[in-house]
Amino acid sequence: MQLLLNALIAGSFAALLASGLSLVYGVLGIFNMALGQLALVGGLTTWWLVSILSLPLPLAIAGGILITALTTWFGFEFFVAPYYRRHRFLPLVTTIAFSMILDGLILVIFHQEPKTIDVGTRTLLPVFDALISSQQIVLIVLTILFLALLTWVLVKTAFGRRIRATVQHPTAAESLGIRSSLLHRIVFIVSGVLAGFAGIYVGIDQNLTPTIGFAITIKAYAAIIAGGKDSMKGTILCAYLIALLEQLSIGLPWFGSYIPSGYQSTVALLVIILVLLIKPQGLFGSKTRIA
Amino acid sequence: MSLLSIKSLSLTLGGQPILRGIDLEVEKGEVIGVIGPNGSGKTTLFNVLSGFLKPTHGKIHFKQTDMTGMAASERARIGIGRVFQNFGVFREMTLEENVLVALEALPKEQRLVLGDLKKAVHSTLKLVHLEDHAKKKANSLSGGQMRLLEIARTLVSGKELFLLDEPTAGVSPKMTGQIADLILTLKKEGKTVLIIEHDLPFIQKICDRVIVLDVGEIALQGKPDDVRHNGKLKELYFGADPTD
Repeated sequence: MQLLLNALIAGSFAALLASGLSLVYGVLGIFNMALGQLALVGGLTTWWLVSILSLPLPLAIAGGILITALTTWFGFEFFVAPYYRRHRFLPLVTTIAFSMILDGLILVIFHQEPKTIDVGTRTLLPVFDALISSQQIVLIVLTILFLALLTWVLVKTAFGRRIRATVQHPTAAESLGIRSSLLHRIVFIVSGVLAGFAGIYVGIDQNLTPTIGFAITIKAYAAIIAGGKDSMKGTILCAYLIALLEQLSIGLPWFGSYIPSGYQSTVALLVIILVLLIKPQGLFGSKTRIA
Repeated sequence: MSLLSIKSLSLTLGGQPILRGIDLEVEKGEVIGVIGPNGSGKTTLFNVLSGFLKPTHGKIHFKQTDMTGMAASERARIGIGRVFQNFGVFREMTLEENVLVALEALPKEQRLVLGDLKKAVHSTLKLVHLEDHAKKKANSLSGGQMRLLEIARTLVSGKELFLLDEPTAGVSPKMTGQIADLILTLKKEGKTVLIIEHDLPFIQKICDRVIVLDVGEIALQGKPDDVRHNGKLKELYFGADPTD
């Protein structure tokens, strides 16, 4: 039971990141390699607002999200906008550059020590034979609400219809008068905001080490590759599935001994390799692009 | 004054001239067929007119407005509609959503004129006899039905100039007749249509004028019957007769 709960907690974090990544790939057709660093920006600035400026938590979270949104916007204007219409692989290189700049800035500003966002006393609640903290319950519920809101926006609103139309036939959408450049900016910033929430999530649940940006990005990529680059549902499902596999790999004895927890992230990479070998379009992917 | 005025339009891609000094005046209400051998620049011309490619040289005016540097979405907003050769429907969206998204993309003043968007969606689908499929995804339609949906969607969104790229490609003969009827409906409503097509009888049935492109230039133009019986047309498609 504890393994399942742990998988739910880790999966919710990965789902937040991966849903933003899936949205950006669907609409812009590009990958953002700075996603992990944007998560750190969200988490670490929230930590700074709580611990150094002593702001109340909700205000600090709002501030952290605002700073992440502005950083993502800056990243889009300087590292994506000038390149992505020339060739869709160019942003792969330019966002790596963006991620390295952010890595450097994060280290200079926040130093190497792990940071935890202080949310007061943690109350542990029993679930069958396992334990979960009240904060973790709030984080899981909030993630599910976020993902439900994102799905509702995509399916039920005019803005969501525009996004889906752009994903499915970008030129036809534009020839109907849908302004793709504005839509691309909004979607890219939304993905950064989702990553920012993911960073705050980890900062509250565990701690944020300023050097884990790339490892966070890989988790999101594992989910999107396993789920299918064109399937947001598949991506979210695989985020939880990979988290479960990670927990099972280190939480159960294999051939009489336990795998060290340091190998946990290797599972994500193995999943990427296996899925690419067996089903390159992903478990839920198709040959047509859909939101 | 012409609705669409194209002057000295040229486009060079990768050092290759694709369009070479095209001059064309299109009057309001005209239906013009654009024909020519493969690689003559027909679809490229449509891509330049709809804003997906920027010309290297020349000017395009629509309703006396210079739209040469305008983005595709802006051109849509001033009344240019495009129907794509590879079906421009949103296949994973329902038919209702396909029409609704087009209406929602209209400038606010045009949306207000339409009033209830759901009623406009229903009447659009009824126009092309697809109202019973409203809740189905567009990928459940046949090629001909997708084409009808796309043209009707462009019509309801108030476009004045229609760029139809091979509307009968991959469509059954029965549906071809329905598409021809729909284009004639556009004509009756005073819409202006440029249509790329290989089916010459279809062109003869619906067009007022035909222009023939060859290696990026207008090689021939005139009334459909005159162009069809012009020896130069055969020469362009099959090469010069060595016995002549």
